[in-house]
Amino acid sequence: MTEKQAIYELSICARVAWQAHSASNAGNNGSNRLMPRHQLLADGHETDACSGNIAKHHHAVLLAEYLEAAGSPLCPACSARDGRRAAALIDQPAYRDLTLERIVRECGVCDAHGFLVTAKNAASDGSAEARQRLSKHSLIEFSFALALPGCHTETAQLFTRSGESKEEGQMLMKMSARSGEYAICVRYKCAGIGLDTERWRAALFDEQERLTRHRAVLAALSDSLLSPQGALTATMLPHLTGLRGAIALCTTVGRAPLYSALQEDFVERLSALADEACTVYPFETIDAFHRHMQALIEKTCPSMPTACRTPLEK
Amino acid sequence: MNLTDFTWLAAEYHLPSLYSCRIPMSSMNSVQARAAPGPATVRLALIRTGIEVFGLEYTRDALFPSIRTMEIRIRPPERVALTAQVLHAFKVDEQAGGTQYSTAPISREVAHASGPLTVYIRVSSQETARWTAMLRAIGYWGQSSSLASCIGVYESSPDPKECVTSLRNWKSHRPLEPFFSCILSEFRNGALSWGQVMPVVGAQKVETLTLDIYVWPLVISEQHGRGKLLLRRAFT
Repeated sequence: MTEKQAIYELSICARVAWQAHSASNAGNNGSNRLMPRHQLLADGHETDACSGNIAKHHHAVLLAEYLEAAGSPLCPACSARDGRRAAALIDQPAYRDLTLERIVRECGVCDAHGFLVTAKNAASDGSAEARQRLSKHSLIEFSFALALPGCHTETAQLFTRSGESKEEGQMLMKMSARSGEYAICVRYKCAGIGLDTERWRAALFDEQERLTRHRAVLAALSDSLLSPQGALTATMLPHLTGLRGAIALCTTVGRAPLYSALQEDFVERLSALADEACTVYPFETIDAFHRHMQALIEKTCPSMPTACRTPLEK
Repeated sequence: MNLTDFTWLAAEYHLPSLYSCRIPMSSMNSVQARAAPGPATVRLALIRTGIEVFGLEYTRDALFPSIRTMEIRIRPPERVALTAQVLHAFKVDEQAGGTQYSTAPISREVAHASGPLTVYIRVSSQETARWTAMLRAIGYWGQSSSLASCIGVYESSPDPKECVTSLRNWKSHRPLEPFFSCILSEFRNGALSWGQVMPVVGAQKVETLTLDIYVWPLVISEQHGRGKLLLRRAFT
């Protein structure tokens, strides 16, 4: 087996161009107008935006598929794509004494995307026991996608749909088709795979399983950017027309750098941060990004933080 | 060298995307955000990264006594734009044992900043290396998706006129009106124990934080639809 490079954290800062999409919206005005999401920037421009929640949700679904295909275990909630994840299990008899270690060991999606089982006080009449809060932060975080000022546009499209009966007639709805170049940031804390990150203790001691999960996270991340998903993609699947930016890998404890792709020189600034503990891979095209991600899937593994290693490994 | 020498460390953070630090007491259905983290958020972030970088026992035994008492100053970014975003939220139903979730649209303010956020901590001169490592490892403020990236840590004293200050410590006789103010949280006192800050099940619940009104060296420059733009301006 070839030696793999152990990485602690990975970040992606990129500009991605989507045409004619409606991937993230702010709600609707009754039944006749879908409201696009806007954000005021610090320079005073109001720009188009897409929430990171929808990207994270899409990644979690893809990750579950990759893990299932690799034979990696999922909890019953994640197998059923229940967004509550581990919290959906606590009223089941088999999961009454659920521990964080068990959740992390038995489910790759809960491990990577985090979960929250809320704390509960004991009932005064003794009918219910107290419950400790169990939680793990997500290891993968997506920023809002922010359109570059001056590089986005919005077209109101009139859609029609028929009611269920003749009396309901035809309904009209305006939906925006938006196009633009968006700045995004993604951070993936690889070293947290299989760990209780509240205490930074290992919960999963099977390195092969950690590697399987790491590879699945990267594969799903690659797919998320190369095959955009979001709201209304059944009829407004975005046209991906460009992807450029930089992938930063950090091999020791600490953060992989992030720099806003709203800045014109973001790739140069990130590249200048490269040192012996941080490698930066710029990319200009979707195929260059794909090659970098394939190489990472094949040649890297999640590092094990020093505090979590056994005395022999330290 | 005197072992009791103290020095100020300044850590600058680039906020590459949007972030949201909730103002304490603001409604969960209509969350208001502040321009930058408050002092309690900084202490909790140091505990969290201390555990990651140095391990739980070392953080509890060696770092926590300093974290709970150290002086902290926060200088907000030069410009901060706040916009209320409508988000889809999940609410846990405690009556149903915490397993039932309902969903509802909520409003949450999110911020976009230009210029670095600077956090100052006053630490022993002998220990600047370990505090530098911890400040560098802080990767978010507020929500974990509120990404932050440390771009430098150096020795520098804060300018009190450019840092958030408690209304109790407001010394000027000039009007407060143009400056942005909000409630922030701080550790209740310097005698809090580890168990009170990091509670375990069955432990008696203790209020660890106090709330106070703080004034930011920021003025509202313009209202823009559902958003507002704040500019940093030093107190006079």
